[in-house]
Amino acid sequence: MSELIKQIAYCIERGKVNKMSPFPNDMKEQPGTDELTKQAIEEGIGPDVILEACNDGMQKVGDKFGRNEVFVPELLMAAKAMNAVMEHLKPFFAAGNLKVKGKFVLGTVAGDLHDIGKNLVSMVVEGNGWQVIDLGVDVKTEKFISAVKENPGCAVGLSALLTTTMANMEKTVSAIREECPSVKIIVGGAPVTMNSAKRMGADGYSPDPQGAVTFLNQSVSIG
Amino acid sequence: MINSAAIRVGNGTPVFNVKIDVNNLKISIKDVCSRMSNGTQSLDAHFYEIINEIFAHLSEKCRIRAGYVICPADFNLTSNRKSKVGNIHFNMGKIVTSQLKNAVQMAVFACTIGPDMENWSRHSMEQDNPAESYLIDRTASVLTEKAVDYLHEYIGGEMAKQNLLITNRYSPGYCDWPVSDQHLLFSLFPHNFCGIRLNASALMHPIKSVSGVIGIGPDVEFKEYMCNRCRIKECTYRRKHVKNTNTIIRGIAL
Ligand code: B12
Repeated sequence: MSELIKQIAYCIERGKVNKMSPFPNDMKEQPGTDELTKQAIEEGIGPDVILEACNDGMQKVGDKFGRNEVFVPELLMAAKAMNAVMEHLKPFFAAGNLKVKGKFVLGTVAGDLHDIGKNLVSMVVEGNGWQVIDLGVDVKTEKFISAVKENPGCAVGLSALLTTTMANMEKTVSAIREECPSVKIIVGGAPVTMNSAKRMGADGYSPDPQGAVTFLNQSVSIG
Repeated sequence: MINSAAIRVGNGTPVFNVKIDVNNLKISIKDVCSRMSNGTQSLDAHFYEIINEIFAHLSEKCRIRAGYVICPADFNLTSNRKSKVGNIHFNMGKIVTSQLKNAVQMAVFACTIGPDMENWSRHSMEQDNPAESYLIDRTASVLTEKAVDYLHEYIGGEMAKQNLLITNRYSPGYCDWPVSDQHLLFSLFPHNFCGIRLNASALMHPIKSVSGVIGIGPDVEFKEYMCNRCRIKECTYRRKHVKNTNTIIRGIAL
């Protein structure tokens, strides 16, 4: 890995967006992902190499979040640093030189409007190279099903924060199973546990966003 | 059984509106940052700057509206744990019912900080400022909970004047009281109470709103929230909070 690429990965991990950004305090006045990605492209470094560095940085910060070493605001700054890279990579995606790993349909289940956790999952998964189709909050089963049908080969993530909406989660899991048996489903949210996820018939559960990435990388065929 | 048409506030049931000024809620940076660090490290200075900037706009962005109605309460514990407030039967579930059962009256309340903070947070997200957006949302959630604390204390004070005690507060969605009962709860209020609307899933808009009930009576007790009696045995809320104490995190204690 070239020094420049390592630096991009590090800036993502630390959430350093650009030179102007005062965050993080110990990297003030230093270039961020914005300048470094521009430089990397100018130097002819392949966009796939840049993207890999991003995934690496995002994975590191995601793991740190899972270990309670960084917290929501830091993770969000990392997501912003990642977005700055993506701005530069957009033309490569448009030209077909870069491909997303796959699609991930995500939403908070019907009857629930807690979305902070779901948004974090969305950003981390996106930062790891997946396209996220975020259906928002209070999402009815039918909406999940039509999104799955519109995005063949996608995986699905369901979030619930109320113990009472876990029942809706279960209904949504079975309905998706019935209509689209091959789709992989991961569930999460504070009241959900590994056992309840199993009982619902989900394929995966994770208490944190990075676990969703591991699940997707392992269980969804990349195409 | 459910007879939501029989009682209508406005026709005799007094409605109390409580004026709450955001400056009285005394929100601090510590309130917003609790649980945002592991205790050994503090947040980056940048986040404190953002929070201070958010605080500077609170008077203009928070329009708190709060109020309550007082209804007679009746708990018939044999009839399927349905509790009667006014003439409405709530399906509060075993845990909430057990906490309220000595109440002779019920304060049914709602409180909102209005839609401006959530719109501001959304706008900030659209501008690709996710950390700022989160901190606005978090500040708004803390303020909502503080406003409800204020309302709760206010109701306690009013009842104390009549030598009556109050319980802790309980909301649809807590323990196994279904959120769908929120429709029944709101049927006790006049139309557009505090400017809060319910959607088809019984969720409140503005989002930064809380509704619930507080038991009132000469013999009621204020008890901390309990997790150990919930039927959802392996829920994470329970695992986090039952180990050391019997209390469940209250509202915004992230
Ligand atoms: C913030 C908050 C609110 C905010 C919502 C803000 C928002 N934009 O989401 C407000 C104040 C509006 C609110 C309102 C209500 N809330 Co609330 N709220 C919370 C609170 C304090 C924090 C939730 C949160 O954001 N956590 C932080 C995020 C980062 O964590 P997370 O969501 O768990 O997500 C992480 C993981 O779970 C995982 N994850 C999440 N989703 C997914 C999905 C997948 C696929 C994967 C893999 C992982 C994953 O990754 C995330 C990052 O690590 C919790 C209490 C708590 N401590 O959890 C109560 C809580 C969830 N609320 C509760 C309730 C009941 C309500 C109300 C229904 C109460 C009422 N009747 O008024 C209302 C509904 C309001 C309405 N408009 O209708 C209860 C639920 C009780 C229960 N056992 O079911 C709680 C537990 C509070 C309590 N003490 O009882 N709430």
